[in-house]
This record gives sequence, structure tokens and C-alpha cells, in this order.
Amino acid sequence: MKWIRLKYTKWYNILKNGIAHNNPIVVAVLGICSALAVSNKVENAIAMGLGVTFVVMASSSVVSLIRNFIPPKVRMVTYMVIISTFVIAVQMFLAAYFPAINKALGAYVGLIITNCIVMGRAEAFAVKNPVRYSLLDGFASGMGYTFVLVVVSLVREVLAFGTIWNIQVLPTTFPNWVVMTLAPGGFFVVGIFIWIIREWIHYYEV
Amino acid sequence: MKKYMKMIVFVIVLGTITSGVFVGMEAWTGPLIQANAANEIKSTILDANGISYTTGNINEVFEENITIQTIDGFEFFIDNTSGSISFEFEGGGVWGPIEGIITLQRDKETIRSIRVLQQEETPGLGGVVATVKYLNQFEGIKMVPALEINIPDANANKPNEVDTITGATRTSKAFEEMLNVSYSARLNALAKIGG
Repeated sequence: MKWIRLKYTKWYNILKNGIAHNNPIVVAVLGICSALAVSNKVENAIAMGLGVTFVVMASSSVVSLIRNFIPPKVRMVTYMVIISTFVIAVQMFLAAYFPAINKALGAYVGLIITNCIVMGRAEAFAVKNPVRYSLLDGFASGMGYTFVLVVVSLVREVLAFGTIWNIQVLPTTFPNWVVMTLAPGGFFVVGIFIWIIREWIHYYEV
Repeated sequence: MKKYMKMIVFVIVLGTITSGVFVGMEAWTGPLIQANAANEIKSTILDANGISYTTGNINEVFEENITIQTIDGFEFFIDNTSGSISFEFEGGGVWGPIEGIITLQRDKETIRSIRVLQQEETPGLGGVVATVKYLNQFEGIKMVPALEINIPDANANKPNEVDTITGATRTSKAFEEMLNVSYSARLNALAKIGG
């Protein structure tokens, strides 16, 4: 009974939409560029996924907080400025206090600014909803993105390097598929994954 | 008119707040970031020479074991015990600058260690250039007549040859060029060290 009631709460639906029914990569086809670039290894996928999740949560919250003051004509610029400020401030903080983590994340932090999901959620959700729901929406979208990235990277890393999380899982005699390390390999795997998931959730574009 | 005024005020306020955030962050984190960068160079040189240290005594250990010499405008870090010579190199990668430290053995032509401290190459592809596993291949490789980074070939294993990174031939070639250019620019200065 409680489960049925949960299904009708806004919280549950925001989470479900972000992770499954309105998944940023599979359904909205956002963030594809970075997904292709970083999904060739599981560790890259997780680092990028967590980075995007944090930034989309933080920027959506701020956009939601000041949504009544943002003039419509400059809203896109405002989102961009907020997102960039967050990413650069986080990068400076990490470089000062956690240089090792900053080094491990490397180029990913910069790539987050260009991720369409962050701006997409600000425009589609945060600017129309209160902070608490925007925060949850940011989390759900970030997790949906991370989920797809990790699944795609599992396939690509095994075929490209014979490893998972840098641990050898295939015999060393297995010929590495170089194409899987490159963007075309990412296109194949992401494309097939999107097809499977869309068939599964019966999502068809007309 | 009021609408436009509101927009201009909003943009000015937003610009002021974000600029304030950056100025504050710079003042707060700037000195720490500089100190971290200096420590990273020191730790890389000490690691290359196999000298142990802790984060607390890195400055003392560095001063005790490493001599800094500036010759012809180039800065060299010389290990007092082994005579190994380290210097910083930099050059353009595919997406941005690559910076690092190369350490040569006493003979001034055999690589003891290479570490990349800064790069903006594609993660998972060109980014491999900064990994220890890839860079360890350079140990014992000769910089003369010139370092070569070539596509793996079972029949070609010259003393000055290293394999390219799979899927990142352009980064590999850029890395080869920057190392050769940095080395040849310092050849005369290197000859003046230790004699």
C-alpha cells in the first residue's frame, strides 16, 4: 500500500524520470559528446558522472533560488555564468586542498561546463520549480547520465583493453578492439544501448 | 524601458557577484595552488632520483639532495649523489599544452624518468601520455640521435624507440617532438654541467 502511495509522490516521479523515463542520454540525447569521450574506461565514466551530478545539482539549486529575478532574455547567459562559476570555483578548491583528486579528474572538470545536461535541466526544470525539487532533479539526471556512462564503459573497456577498472578480465591473448577506444566505438555502443532501452521502455519518436 | 533597466541591473549584479567569487577564490586558493605546484615539481624530481621524503620534510630533503643550476637561461636540477639531471619540458599537445619533467642519467643522454605534470589530451586516449605505466617505457631509452615514438613493430626495437599510445598517434608524435626540441635546445647547456 505504501509502495503505491510512493509512486504518486513528486519525489518518486522526479527520480524515475531522471534515471529512466527521461534519461538525459537515452531519451533526451543530451551530453552525447562527453559520453563518447569518457566512456572508454569505467574509472573515467564514474569520475565524469559524479562531477556532472554535483555540478547539475548545485547549478540547478542556484538557478531555482534566483528564478524569480532572472530576466527571460538573459536566462541562457545566466545559466552559463552560474555553471561556469561553479565549475571553476570547484576546480580552484580542489587544486588548492585536494591536488591529487584534481589531477585525477584532469580535463573532466572543464568538460562539465560544456555538458548540455547541466543547462538543459536548468532551462527545463530548475527555472520553474522550487529548490528542493531542483536539487532532486539534478541528482536524478546526474545519476541517469552516470548509469549510461558506466554501462557503456563496461562494454568498451572490456573490448578495447580486456580489462574492467584496469583489472584484466579477458586473456591477454585477446586482440584489443582499437575502435572501441575511439569515438566511433562509442557511437556504436551508445547507439545500440539507446536502441535497446528505447525498445524496452516503448519510447518511439514520431 | 523599465524592463531593460531591470535586465541591465541583473547582468551587472550577476557579473559583480561572480567576479567577486573569483577574486575571493583566487585570494584564498592562489597561494596554496602555487605551493602545491612547487611541491609537485620537487616531489617528481625526488621520486625520479629514488629519494624518500614526507610531505612535512620535502623542502629540506630537496635542498639537501638537489642542486639547482641555471645555465644559458635553462634551469637544471642535479642530484648530488647520482649526478642525474632533471629539467622541465613543455610543448603543444593535440588539445592543449603538455608540461612535465625529464630526468637523464649522468651520461646526459639516457632517460632515467619522465613524468607529465600537466596535459589536456582526450581522457582515455591521448590522456594516457600522463600515466606512469606508459611513461615507464621511456626508462633506459636514449635521447640520441633523437627519441622516436613509433607504432609498435615487433621487428623494430631501437635503443631510442618507444611505442605510440593506441588510438592517440597525434598526441604521441607531439610528445616525441616536444621532448626532442626541449633536449636539443639544452644540449649546449647540458655539456657545461659537471665539467
